[in-house]
Amino acid sequence: MLKVDSVSFRYAGGEEPVLRQLSIDVPAGGIFGLLGPNGAGKTTLISILAGQLHAASGRITVDDAPLEDLRRREPASLGLVPQEFAFYPMLSCAENLRFFGGVQGLGGARLRERVAAVAAFARIENVLARRAGELSGGLRRRLNLAIGLLTEPRVLLLDEPTVGVDPQSRSFLLDSIRALAGEGRTILYTSHYMEEVEAICDRVAIIDAGRVLRQGTLAELLRDEAAVVTVRQGRSLEQLFMHLTSRSLRD
Amino acid sequence: MRRLIRTLTALWLKEWLALSRDVHGLAVLFLMPAAFIVIMSLALSDVFRDGAGRPVEFAVLASDASTAVHLTDGIAGEGFKATRAPASEAAAREQVRKGSPALVLVVPERFGADPSATLTLLADPTLPPIQIAAFLQRVHGATLAVKSSSPALNLEVVGNPHGGRPSSVQQNVPAWLIFGMFLVVMPISALFIAERRDGTLARLVSQRVPFSMLLLGKIGPLFVINLVQTALMLAAGRTLVPWLGGESLAMPARWDLLAAVAACTSLAAIGWGLLVAVASHTIEQATVIGGVGTILAAALGGIMVPRFVMPESMQAWAALSPMAWALDGFHAVMLRQGSAVDIALPCVKLLGLAAALLAAALWLHHSRRAA
Repeated sequence: MLKVDSVSFRYAGGEEPVLRQLSIDVPAGGIFGLLGPNGAGKTTLISILAGQLHAASGRITVDDAPLEDLRRREPASLGLVPQEFAFYPMLSCAENLRFFGGVQGLGGARLRERVAAVAAFARIENVLARRAGELSGGLRRRLNLAIGLLTEPRVLLLDEPTVGVDPQSRSFLLDSIRALAGEGRTILYTSHYMEEVEAICDRVAIIDAGRVLRQGTLAELLRDEAAVVTVRQGRSLEQLFMHLTSRSLRD
Repeated sequence: MRRLIRTLTALWLKEWLALSRDVHGLAVLFLMPAAFIVIMSLALSDVFRDGAGRPVEFAVLASDASTAVHLTDGIAGEGFKATRAPASEAAAREQVRKGSPALVLVVPERFGADPSATLTLLADPTLPPIQIAAFLQRVHGATLAVKSSSPALNLEVVGNPHGGRPSSVQQNVPAWLIFGMFLVVMPISALFIAERRDGTLARLVSQRVPFSMLLLGKIGPLFVINLVQTALMLAAGRTLVPWLGGESLAMPARWDLLAAVAACTSLAAIGWGLLVAVASHTIEQATVIGGVGTILAAALGGIMVPRFVMPESMQAWAALSPMAWALDGFHAVMLRQGSAVDIALPCVKLLGLAAALLAAALWLHHSRRAA
């Protein structure tokens, strides 16, 4: 289990903290959806989990061991698929995969094997020789996902992995993510698409202004009495989300 | 250890592929300095020739004041300007070593009375032979006013590791090579900022690739590119410039010292590029900071305007530019065939700067990551 306990963070020079005593429990072998409007702190939390930022306070553990220890002991145990196309457009897909595998210590036959495996999983075998910058949006998303899977991480952080893709690619990506969870991984999934979260996540946390507003299984959230008062029709996740985070515009 | 080697190999290979596919970056690094070398070497060849525009300073060192005055008056003119005589022959040698004055005529005692007395001319080796020959002719003419027969004259060329004037090609090849090396700021910052913007840097950090390793991954390929630049720019000075009608570049006697100066210059240039890359938020910002900084350092450091034509006050400011340190190093090796001692100071300065710039880049990166 990935446990985030009372984590706070403030950017240097920022007036307000971005995360305020935020706590979530992400069980192993499932997909945990992290929902929140723009500026809620989702990407900051992902960046802290990925080791890009240091939390000012709080504790993050995986199976009761500090996350930092796990990352130090097994650097490849945590995979990140950022919302940006985080690869080199001037390199081919194969060169990108070999590079990201190489920097994580893969080499020789093992690297070739993993490149072939993730390319097959993401169905990008046919475009391996093409420059990444020349790919369509859907193929780029699939390459982005494939890179995150090179080391077969135990914990996978997916930051809006389906942004800007067509319905076919989205459906493929969601099926792929479900398959990854089936292999016993812990997956933290952020998205703005409520229907995606409803479709694939076992547990959900709705956060805003750096705080957790609700967390639990989808059924638990929709049973929330306070929400039911307002959400009179349908009890959809989107209605609950709008109720909890208010309708004011964010940036 | 195996992981570190694989990581570094992957970073070097990626950087090499990325740079080799950056056509504009390669043009900036190779074509631009080569074009500058050819154009400036040809355009300024007359300005540098025989010290054109500025007379050569000389002094006459004689124990007999009237002999000194007669000889000085007889020699002065036609591009030779008299200056105050040094206190002793040792002082004269030291001054000629520094290039000022470029010529000192040492007159022995009883020169007028002793028919076997021999004159000694201490000369700066960077003076063109034709200028030394012209001076000797004027010396012979002037001595006839002092004694009836022309005396024997011993010419001694004094080693000159710190001063002297280069020819056009000797000035322009190392100068524009250094400028080209510092232009690595452009491709470094463009690629680094793109990596940060596109999230690849964040992804690498999440994969526990240390930032110092990322910087090391950039230093290796760029260092090789700078050395290739050095070889190609010297080749341009050796072959292209004379083919187009200019003077051919004289090659150094000590290639190992040349490689050492080039390596130190490269590390300073890469350090500058990495600091600009880390400090800048956008490619536009890096282009302005890196481009303007490089051009200012070049203008100040004697790249665009040789230092020896600058007024003394400006020459003092020029000594602050890392490009001036690099130029000192290249001139010590290529112009004066100097030794390891002669390049030590410029190399230490360049390496110190490289270390300071890299440390600043690391500090800036870590301070931004902290909450």
